[in-house]
Amino acid sequence: MTSGDEGLARGAQASDPSHDAGAPIAEHRSRTHATVETVLRNRLAVAGLVILAVLVLAAIIGPWVIPYEINEIDIANRLTGPSTDHWFGTDELGRDVFSRVVVGARVSLVVGFVAVGIALILGVPIGLISGFYGGATDSTLMRFMDILFSLPAILLAIAILAVLGPGIVNAMIAIGIVYTPIFARITRGSVLTIRQSVFVRAAESLGATNNRILRTHILPNVMAPIIVQTSLSLAFAILAEAALSFLGLGVQPPEPAWGRMLAEGRSFFEQAPWMAIFPGLAIVLTVMAFNFVGDGLRDALDPQQRSVIESRGVG
Amino acid sequence: MNGTSRSRIGMLVMMILAIALIVAACDSGESVDTGETTTTAASGGETTTTAGEGGEDTTTTAAAAPEGGGILIAAQGAEPDRLDPHLTSAYASFQVLENVYDTLVQPGPDLSMEPALAESWEISDDNLTWTFTLRSDVVWHNGRAFTADDVVYSYDRIMDPDFGANNAFRFASIEEVTAVDATTVAIQLSRPTPNLLVNIGAFKGMAIVPREIVEDGTIDTNPVGTGPFRFVSSSPDQGIVLERNPDYWRASEGLPYLDGVTFIQIPDPTVKLTNLRSGEVDWVDTVPPQQLAALEGDSSVVVQRVPGGDYHYFALNQNREPFNDVRVRQAIATAINREEIAEAAQFGAATANQTAIPAGTFWSYDYAPFTASDTAAATALLEEAGVSDLTIEFLVTSDFPETVTQAQVIAAQLDAIGVGVEIRDVDFSTWLDAQGGGDFDAFMLSWIGNIDPDDFYYAQHHSTGGFNFQGYNSPEVDQLLDAARVETDQNARKALYDQAATLIVDEASYTYLYNPENINAWGPQVTGYEVRGDNAIRFVETQLQR
Repeated sequence: MTSGDEGLARGAQASDPSHDAGAPIAEHRSRTHATVETVLRNRLAVAGLVILAVLVLAAIIGPWVIPYEINEIDIANRLTGPSTDHWFGTDELGRDVFSRVVVGARVSLVVGFVAVGIALILGVPIGLISGFYGGATDSTLMRFMDILFSLPAILLAIAILAVLGPGIVNAMIAIGIVYTPIFARITRGSVLTIRQSVFVRAAESLGATNNRILRTHILPNVMAPIIVQTSLSLAFAILAEAALSFLGLGVQPPEPAWGRMLAEGRSFFEQAPWMAIFPGLAIVLTVMAFNFVGDGLRDALDPQQRSVIESRGVG
Repeated sequence: MNGTSRSRIGMLVMMILAIALIVAACDSGESVDTGETTTTAASGGETTTTAGEGGEDTTTTAAAAPEGGGILIAAQGAEPDRLDPHLTSAYASFQVLENVYDTLVQPGPDLSMEPALAESWEISDDNLTWTFTLRSDVVWHNGRAFTADDVVYSYDRIMDPDFGANNAFRFASIEEVTAVDATTVAIQLSRPTPNLLVNIGAFKGMAIVPREIVEDGTIDTNPVGTGPFRFVSSSPDQGIVLERNPDYWRASEGLPYLDGVTFIQIPDPTVKLTNLRSGEVDWVDTVPPQQLAALEGDSSVVVQRVPGGDYHYFALNQNREPFNDVRVRQAIATAINREEIAEAAQFGAATANQTAIPAGTFWSYDYAPFTASDTAAATALLEEAGVSDLTIEFLVTSDFPETVTQAQVIAAQLDAIGVGVEIRDVDFSTWLDAQGGGDFDAFMLSWIGNIDPDDFYYAQHHSTGGFNFQGYNSPEVDQLLDAARVETDQNARKALYDQAATLIVDEASYTYLYNPENINAWGPQVTGYEVRGDNAIRFVETQLQR
C-alpha cells in the first residue's frame, strides 16, 4: 500500500488495512457514534434536528391533536385573524389555518422522503455502475444524467407532471426524477476515487465478483457524501413540492399542502395575510432545518468533501 | 463551522428569494368573473401568458387630449387567444372585439335587441323571411363602404360547415341570406325563429367582417371592423392598441369620445386592482370579490355591480353509474346549500338560484324544489337508489378559481350525507378536453352572456345539444325546447320554457347554483361607462376627465 493510494482512497477506512477484507461492523458503529457526537456539537444542526422532530411529530400525531377538522367550513368566521380560537386565523372558507398547517407537515415530509427515496434508488446505482465500469456505459449514463441536470429543476418537474397529470404521487415521481442526476454524479465521483484504491484492487485480484466489490467495498465508502446530499435534497424536494402545489400541480384540494395554501393565501394577502404567512413560515423552517442538519452531517462525515456536494435550487 | 453556517444561510436567503421569484413570476390565478364564453367546446386552449404592464408610456399622450378624450388604459385578466370573431371563444378577445366590430342588431342597456348596422327590419306573415334595412352611412375602418354583400359574406362564412365557426349552431334555422340591394338583406328561415335577433346579434361572435381581411389572412391579427375604435396594433409589451374611428356611424353624436383604448393584460386580480388604485390603468374587468366590501368607501375606485345573465352550475355524468339514476342526482342537488356556495365563492356578489335565468327578467322562472342542506331527504334518496360509498370526482380548473372554492364547499356539504368528493383541478384546456371526452364524474363551470332562454337551455339540455356533455336525454324536454324555439307568441314561448326548466331542474340535468353579479371597476376620471348585464365591454360612450 502506498501513500498515494491512501490519498486516493480518502477517509478513515481506507487507511486501515483491516477494512480491505470486508465491512467492518464494529468499526462502523464507533464511527457512527463519532458522527453523532460531531453533529450534536453543532448548534445549528441541533436546532434543525429539534425542528425536524417537531415536524415529524406533527406529521404523525397531527390529525389527532389539531383543534379543528381541516376541512371544516365556517363561512361566518372566514378570514378572521389569529386569536385564541384560531391561533393562525382562518382562511377564505373559515377553515382553521393552524390545523391545516399542522396536517400540511405530513404532505411535505412524505413527499420529501419519498421523492428523495426515488432519487436515491435511481441515482446511486447509476452512479455506482457508471463510476465502476467506466467507458461507454459511463458515457451513456452520465450524458443522460447531464441532459436531465441541464434542465431547470422546476421546469423539468412541471414537464413530467404535464405528462403524468397533477397529483401527489406524480409529484413525488417528478421530484424524484429531477433529483436523480445529483445522486448519480456524487456517487460516480466518489466511486472514481475509490475504484483505484488498493483494497478494491486487492478484492479484484482475489477474484471477488463485481457485484460483491460494489456492494461490500465501494458502496460503504461512498455513503458519506450521499447521506449529506440526501439531507440537503430533502430540503429542496420539500421546496419543490411547495412550488408544484403552489402552481396547482401537486396535492389536490381540499387536502392541505403548504404550497397550495400559500397560493390561495396570495389573493387574500391584503385582508388576511396570515393565510399565506404561516404556511410560508412552515416551508422556510422546514427547509432551514434540513439544511442545518445536512450542514452538520457534512461537517461530521466528510469535512473535505464540501466542494463536491452539489446543490440544486428549484428556481 | 461558522463560515459554513454563514454560507448555508446565504444559500437559504437565495432559496427564499427563489420562492419569492416563483411567487412573482408564476401566475396560476385568472380573473374571477369570466366563465365560458357561450361557445367553448371547440376551443383548443386558452393562452394565459403573463403580461407585464405594457402601455405605461401611452398614458402620457392623454395629457394633451381634448375634454372627454384621451386614451383609456383597460386592464383585462386574460390575453385574447385570437382576434377572428367567428373563431375565438375567449371572453378576453370579445372584450376587445366588442369595440371594433358591429353586428346587425345588438343588445341594448336592458338587453332587448336594438338596431346597429341594421336600421330596421320586417318579418313576413309566415315568420319565415326577415328583411333587414341597413344603414347607408357605414364605412369599414379601411375606408370601403359597408354594403349588404358584407352581411351575406359574413353569415355565409359562419354557416359554412367546413369553416367550423363557433356560432354556426345559432344559424341552424337560416336557409339562405341574400342581398336584395346594397342596403337590404333578406334572411330566409326553415322554421319560425322568434329569437333570430338574439341569434345574430347577442355578441360579437356573429360580427359582420369584411371579405378582404379574410382573403388576405389578416383577420386574426389585424381586424378591420365598423365599430367605434380601429385596431392599431397588438404586442406583448404594448398591449392591444385601438384608436378612435373618426368615420364611426354614430360620429354625428360625437362618438366615440375617447381618442383610443389600450388593452393591457394583468392576470392577477390583486395586481390589477393595485394598478387601478395607483392610476396606472383606468379600468379593470374584474375586482377580487373579497375586496368588494373594502372598496365601497374607497374614493380612488368606482365599482359597479349589476345582476347578470351568467350562471354557475355543475353537472353529473349521466353516462356513468350511479349518476344515470335520477335519485342520485336529486340527492346531491338537495344535500347542497346554494346560499353557502354563492357566499363562499362570490362574497355576497351573487344570488343563489335553482334555475338558470336570474330573477327580474321577463324569462326568469321562480322555481326552487330543493330544500337547502336537506340531508334527511338526500340520504333517503340515496338509500332508495341503493347507493352507498359514493365518491364523486369533481372536474374544476384553477383558471377559474371560484370553481375550486365551490368544489371544496360542496365536498364539505356532501360529507354530511356520506358522499365523498375528489377534486380534480386541471388547467382549462385539459378541463375542456375532459369535458368533451366525457372523462368526468362531475364538471363545474359557468355560462356567460346568455340572453334568450334558448341560449340557456337548448345546447345544454336537448339530447342533440352541442354542449350536452352530461348526457341528459329527455324526449319531453327535447319536445318542449323544439316547440319553444319556433313559438312566436312570447307568453306561450315562456310557458314552454318554464315547463322545460321544471324538468331540467327536477331531473338535475344541471344542478344550478347561483347567478353572479357582473362587476367592473374604474377610476373616478372615467365617466359614461356602464357595467352591462351581458358583460359586453363597450367604451363607445366613455369619457376621461383628467
